[in-house]
Amino acid sequence: MRGSASGLSLALAGLALVTLPWWSGDLYQLHLVSLIGAYWVLVAGLNLVVGFAGQLSIGHVGLLAVGAYGFAVLAGTLGLDPLLVLPLCGALGGAAGLLLGLPSLRLPGFYFAMATMAFALIVTELSLAWGGLTGGGTGLSVPGFPAPFHTPWGQYWLILAIGAAVTAMTWGIARRMWGRALIAVRDSEVAAASVGINVFRVKLTVFVFSGVTAGLGGALFAALQTYITPDTFVFEIGLFFFVCIIIGGRGSILGPLIGTAVLTALPELVAPLAKLGTFFYGLTLLIVVLLVPEGIGRLVEVLAARLRAEPHRSHEVRPDLARLRRALTSQAGASPPVGEPPPVGETRPPEAPALAREALP
Amino acid sequence: MSAASLPAALPEAGGLAAESVAKRFGGVTALDAVSLDLRPGEIHGLIGPNGSGKTTLLNLLSGYYRPDAGEVRLDGEALSRRSVQRRPRLGIARTFQKPRLLGHLTVLDNAMLGAWRDVRAGFLATALGLPSVLREETDLRERAADLVHGVGLGHAIHRRANLLEHAEQRFLEIARALALRPRFLLLDEPAGGLTGAEIAHLADIVRTIRDGGIGVLLVEHHTDFVFRVCGRVTTLDRGRLIKHGTPDEVRTDAEVVRVYLGA
Amino acid sequence: MLAVIVSGLAIGAVYAATALAYNVMYSTSKVLSVTTGHLCMLGGVFGAWFIAGLGLPVPAGLVGAVLVGALFGGFTEIVGVRRVLARSDEHLWLLSTLALATMLQQAVGLWWGTEPKPFPRLIPQDFSSGLLDQKYWLPILTVLVMTAGLEAFYRLTLWGKLFQATSEDAFAARARGIPTDRVRLASYLLAGALGGLAGFAAGQLTFAFFALGLTLTLNGFIALAVGGLGSNLGALLGGAGLGLLSAFATYWFGGEYQQTIAVGLLMLVLLVRPEGLLGARRVRPV
Repeated sequence: MRGSASGLSLALAGLALVTLPWWSGDLYQLHLVSLIGAYWVLVAGLNLVVGFAGQLSIGHVGLLAVGAYGFAVLAGTLGLDPLLVLPLCGALGGAAGLLLGLPSLRLPGFYFAMATMAFALIVTELSLAWGGLTGGGTGLSVPGFPAPFHTPWGQYWLILAIGAAVTAMTWGIARRMWGRALIAVRDSEVAAASVGINVFRVKLTVFVFSGVTAGLGGALFAALQTYITPDTFVFEIGLFFFVCIIIGGRGSILGPLIGTAVLTALPELVAPLAKLGTFFYGLTLLIVVLLVPEGIGRLVEVLAARLRAEPHRSHEVRPDLARLRRALTSQAGASPPVGEPPPVGETRPPEAPALAREALP
Repeated sequence: MSAASLPAALPEAGGLAAESVAKRFGGVTALDAVSLDLRPGEIHGLIGPNGSGKTTLLNLLSGYYRPDAGEVRLDGEALSRRSVQRRPRLGIARTFQKPRLLGHLTVLDNAMLGAWRDVRAGFLATALGLPSVLREETDLRERAADLVHGVGLGHAIHRRANLLEHAEQRFLEIARALALRPRFLLLDEPAGGLTGAEIAHLADIVRTIRDGGIGVLLVEHHTDFVFRVCGRVTTLDRGRLIKHGTPDEVRTDAEVVRVYLGA
Repeated sequence: MLAVIVSGLAIGAVYAATALAYNVMYSTSKVLSVTTGHLCMLGGVFGAWFIAGLGLPVPAGLVGAVLVGALFGGFTEIVGVRRVLARSDEHLWLLSTLALATMLQQAVGLWWGTEPKPFPRLIPQDFSSGLLDQKYWLPILTVLVMTAGLEAFYRLTLWGKLFQATSEDAFAARARGIPTDRVRLASYLLAGALGGLAGFAAGQLTFAFFALGLTLTLNGFIALAVGGLGSNLGALLGGAGLGLLSAFATYWFGGEYQQTIAVGLLMLVLLVRPEGLLGARRVRPV
């Protein structure tokens, strides 16, 4: 029942997004939504790193810049087909993510955050130093996409398609064993290691994935901006991505999506906020951390759970030994049972395996 | 000392053994030349006063510490160089004195996590939701659900783990450890904070696990419980082994009575 | 060559001072605050404002800059650290201090302007002294005095001993009746004062610049991690090393690769000696 309702709202939201160019007022709004989409491609991947695996990367803007410059150079300077360059930018972002993650993901939290921040500053430094490639402080102009994606609408649909694909992938990760492993890494590395999770490998895998989406997002972002300079990729943007996730809520996908949309659109729609700029993001972050550290998305979930509250009953733990015995013997023997065979007398109809209800939005 | 009279009996194969292991923290010797072997299908008790090195020994067996001297062997093969994360894959599972559950996940999710060693699905395949991944997911879910019901948590299977009561948390940790398909299960004070009735259930569960051919190491303060379920008992005091034998031998040993059980 | 060494040591002194401020706050709270570099920035900006803007005499400007730093340090503790430490999530302090640092930097940028502004002369001296100019020796002298003062404070005063007891084991300290909350607040006030003082002393070198904070937060942290978390002597060595490295990198390759080389140093040290040159080896928490 709940599933069909959320399925319906998902379909409606999808329909609204696909048809947006027909009912949105003007090109500026379309550009804004496209920008949200390009940001989201990055944030969706980063969300697995920050919201699920709990690694506080504040410097993903560096990876965004890698993808953006990659696109500008390959598609612009070298004149390759932009649609071919797009996956190349993903690969480039993934490689940069690997380069950053390999030394830094073994470090404790603050060290890691500082390493990602340093990475963002280094990328800016290099984009200034390698003027021949990047145009230095002057920057580079960025080509758009070929038909059918050459119009603002076409570009929007391209971004929408990529955004949907990336969202589906992170959703697939979040609700399966990999998602559980990421949360184990976030909440208790001791517990994670006790079930044999290679914590570093899991972190690195998801970090490289976030590099790929950052590279893709950077390429789309560059195409939207049409011109990029080192100033396009100030450190504050990395902070902005990070804040979107923290506000949206850890361990949620819908929350950060809404966070990205709201935080991108708000300063554009409310002029005083634009003036305050980064101060507003900082203030929002502070309020969320102090008042709802689990994020607004999580707060909504908790309230919803309270509405359909199951009354808490104390329940004596009563082991079902026959079922335990069956489970142990059927768990394909790493070691053959040496004890007595399970008594046949104790029969209890096996319950249908309860399928886990996914709690994620 | 009575420990000296014990033969350092180590099976050539089919066991998890600590061979005269030592561990020091700074200047403090936590363990000194202690040997212990755990065989499949037995319940082995490990008792001793606070600070006698019980948990340190368990941490050595499960790989959280490396011994300063001596060796940990599985089926005769040296383990000390294998990292913590490798041991579950070799069939060594453990629980913690203070349950380490993932509070944001459901009971079933926590139990499923134990089956990580059997996950074959790669990151990309999972992201794309390939059919083989979905099949594997369903299999693991059924297995974990059986274990959750088996330890008596069927009523709470979809509850978030941080809403569980204390006994439920302990039993869920056991279910998660069992989802590893372990050959050896190391339980760190599983009866701590449990009521009498709950300890009786725990005893049933531990015996059932033993009957499944799994070797269980029971680090415990509840000596009644230990003497009731264990086939063999090892006693430590201040990092040294003072008595090893059947429950009756240990219970009546003068040294054990003096340092631990009391007159 | 001598010029490179002197300017390297001078900027290294600022890094070392930031690392000292990190240490003071870390010792009582086990928090590495993102606002640490911003304390120095405040000293520079407010020192310039008090003296050049309001026309106050230099000693008053000094006192004012130190006070502003201490106030913000205390503010950090009350708003960003105290409430968050009570919760179990260990990363929340990173988020809260990051938020405070961001807000402060942006607020100063809006008020003071985003261009670096010159810092007034503190001591009458003409500008032809070259390497003996006060902009070099003032920060170096200040950080040396700060280190010596801190060591004396820890060893000789009651409050210093309270700091140390809290640092070694906060639970045990509280059990013995030490008001650890007040000790922590005091340590943040002290760190703020030190940061303000360092920023003031180095103002002629760094200029009064709103974005200095983030750079110092990063480079001070590198100096700290290289020298060893918790060690004041290590902070001094790490700062000097990093400053010299940056200066020589600029001398040989131009200023373009400064940050890259600084981070390279950090990664190298962390690979070889994760606890830093003089840091204590951490015991694995299980």
